[in-house]
Amino acid sequence: MFVLITGGCKNGKSRIAEKILTAYDVPNMPRFYVATMEPFGSEAAEAIARHRKIREGKNFTTIEKYTDISEIKLPQDSGVLLECICNLCANEMFSANEKSPVPKIIRGIETLINYTEIFVAVTNQVGSDGVKYSPETMAYIKQMGLLNNRLAELADVVIEAVFGIPVLLKGDLPKCLC
Amino acid sequence: MTFITGGAYQGKTEFAINNFEFFEREIADGSAEIEILLSAKCIRNFENFVYAVTESGRNAVTAAEAILSQNPDVVIIMNEVGGGIIPLERSERKKREAAGQTGCMLAEKAETVVRLVCGIPTVLKGKL
Repeated sequence: MFVLITGGCKNGKSRIAEKILTAYDVPNMPRFYVATMEPFGSEAAEAIARHRKIREGKNFTTIEKYTDISEIKLPQDSGVLLECICNLCANEMFSANEKSPVPKIIRGIETLINYTEIFVAVTNQVGSDGVKYSPETMAYIKQMGLLNNRLAELADVVIEAVFGIPVLLKGDLPKCLC
Repeated sequence: MTFITGGAYQGKTEFAINNFEFFEREIADGSAEIEILLSAKCIRNFENFVYAVTESGRNAVTAAEAILSQNPDVVIIMNEVGGGIIPLERSERKKREAAGQTGCMLAEKAETVVRLVCGIPTVLKGKL
């Protein structure tokens, strides 16, 4: 099962994602949190600390991987929460110099899905803005759009978080959110 | 008239091609000459039309209404552009506001309004 959560900044995507993975009831399923944010600067550190606090006591093992997620090795039938696609895409484009990172990221996601009972990925909507940015940023907005479309095709369930409210775009809403 | 909206690169044009009877080459860009827009089956990047009209000091809503009165069955695709920070530049603010106002008019006049997120359509008004 692959669940994709999208939505704007600070709209409760992580909470919804964690709720789905926590409520997914398979006995002894190991739960992993794949963190893709490179801890640059104080704001990243704050975001990381906030997300760690939300995950406290939920028995997630954290794996930090900023690019090349296909290299992650997991036990079979794991539960995985990957957060987030927008950092992963930026890291592939700007740290790893991958101009069109969509195929590489999709291959990585498909590899991880093979290990999992449930895979939840958090992404972000970045293209609903009227301002023209630098060419690099416009390229990023394009790649994020293409990537999200492709991920939504692969996903069994797609949810848009709107101020904490899960809006179902594809599939069936997980019971824990009803 | 059908109005298709959503953020950039969310699959709006692809959705239009798959759901309406026209080919990609029959789609005009919002920056095309007005004669082309008056007869186009589909106009994409309609915000470009709004921006150009606004830059010339005219009212974008009125100008868009003029297109609809001559081309009432057109499929209009316009990016959702009001989601970010209010731009510092006054001219950018005006263009973005005009896009919002034009979008409201288009949604009001459209028989069908569809919004795409991650390539997934949600019908906001009417029926496909």
